[in-house]
Amino acid sequence: MLEVDDLTVTLPMGGQLVPVLSGVSFGLPRGESVGLVGESGSGKSMTALAIMGLLPEGARVSGRVAFDGRDLLAASEAELCAIRGRRIGMVFQEPMTALNPLLSIGAQVAEPLRLHLRLARPDAQARARRLLERVGLPPARISPDLYPHQLSGGQRQRVVIAMALACGPDLLIADEPTTALDVTVQAQVLDLLAELAWETGMALLLITHDLGVVSETVGKVLVMYAGRVVEQGPTAEMFARMSHPYTRALLAASPRETGGRPVAIPGQVPDPLHRPSGCAFAPRCARAQADCVASVPPLRGAGAHRAACLHPHVPP
Amino acid sequence: MRNIWRSRSLLLGAAVTLAMVATALVSLVWTPYPPTAIDIVHRLALPSARHLLGTDPLGRDVLSMIMSGSQSSLSVALIAVVVGAGLGIPLGALAAARPGWLDDAVMRACDLAFAFPALLTAVMITALAGPGGSRAMLAIGIFNIPVFARITRGSARGVWSRDFVLAARTAGRGDAAITVSHVLPNIAAVLLVQLTIQFALAIVADAGLSYVGLGTQPPQPSWGRMLNDAQTFIWRAPFLAVFPGLAITLAVLGLNLLGDGLQDLLDPRLRRAR
Repeated sequence: MLEVDDLTVTLPMGGQLVPVLSGVSFGLPRGESVGLVGESGSGKSMTALAIMGLLPEGARVSGRVAFDGRDLLAASEAELCAIRGRRIGMVFQEPMTALNPLLSIGAQVAEPLRLHLRLARPDAQARARRLLERVGLPPARISPDLYPHQLSGGQRQRVVIAMALACGPDLLIADEPTTALDVTVQAQVLDLLAELAWETGMALLLITHDLGVVSETVGKVLVMYAGRVVEQGPTAEMFARMSHPYTRALLAASPRETGGRPVAIPGQVPDPLHRPSGCAFAPRCARAQADCVASVPPLRGAGAHRAACLHPHVPP
Repeated sequence: MRNIWRSRSLLLGAAVTLAMVATALVSLVWTPYPPTAIDIVHRLALPSARHLLGTDPLGRDVLSMIMSGSQSSLSVALIAVVVGAGLGIPLGALAAARPGWLDDAVMRACDLAFAFPALLTAVMITALAGPGGSRAMLAIGIFNIPVFARITRGSARGVWSRDFVLAARTAGRGDAAITVSHVLPNIAAVLLVQLTIQFALAIVADAGLSYVGLGTQPPQPSWGRMLNDAQTFIWRAPFLAVFPGLAITLAVLGLNLLGDGLQDLLDPRLRRAR
């Protein structure tokens, strides 16, 4: 249903155009889920914004983003407005700032219903109450007349999810939906997302920096680094045979998977202005050799599991 | 403690402002004496039971003139602020919603307007177009446009960068709908406070214009003209300058207190703390 093909985005930065996404490709069929994983600056959120057509001013996009056969990159703003919220829903990282402080939660959930489905106010309100109930905020306990600041972080994120789900979208993009939440609440919100995706048959694009999060939630994983996909594959297959040193380093940095002390990855994601030639991870990589800096390694692999590494831990 | 004091400033400001509006309304149908009635025999009378605030050099009752003068002060200030806000807020909201050349054009035009001292240019406009209440309204109103455009644009840019606006865009809302349902409500408090401040400034500007004879024309009394007339008799009858001066001060003070109180009342973050 969603086909991203060779998506490349350049942004004006410091007087020049720098690539923030290079050749990102993946498919997301109806009813399935994909996880985009990487550190800050790896291009995960930029991918989501490019799909939504909400890139910052001055961005240049090439490639193809097809949604149900329609090219979103060529769609007009009016067409995009009709798709956003109606067919693609989005959940944000910070539930505190993703809600308007001046509107009651019931009104905010009802807003997309009134906008896209043209429901009358009472119908939209009744539907908003059912949606809030579905995401675990029963009106009997949590009144739809409450304002965002009267709720906890987890409850707010449930409201944001209810808003994104209001019109029954075919695709839900969740951008770091659990990052701002308490550890105990994170699992609940992830379970809710997986459950809703399974129940409604919508596709789920989960964006996170925590490799541990995707292992239990999505069917397919894409690991991104410095604007490129460095490893991808079906979740089980990939976790069984992690090839790229960056994927291994990410997992070691995830507190829930190691059980012990998370291991930091030395250094930082190179900023788009100063990316090294060749493999962008090479300067931080323990396995890097001379040929790593010569050219960008392509994604290689026998089947669905592929990695962009010249010296993988195990061949994918 | 702070909140009690703040709500007190709101109450006091509202009371003074309401009293001023009530005075203007009452003066439409009743004043102790007709504000233009000349009584040469009792000229320059000191405040007494007969004339509570005394009489001027022509024997007109000062209280009646102040009451009647509030009409022109209020109407000039009101229209000026309506003109300024009515054009400035949409311009500022538009500039905030469309970063780029449109934003630049609007803001540079505001800079240009700000480069001229407001009152001086108002004097120039009324001098060119001829004196009178309606010209004063327009002259002051024009200089309120960039004030409102700038504050609207500035605070709206802040709201546009918030995540809930991005959320609204991902929900398929257009720029106009986001401006109306998300941006304007979130800056309403700022704008309302600015409205009261500009209203107070417009009263002062109107007094200034009518002081130099470019505002409301006689025989309709105005506070600025009364101050001017009192100048000649400042030593014989200082109360002639004191009472209109007090009226202007009270009006401005009341509006500023009101704005201060409203700011705290409307700020959702402070409301939550209560």
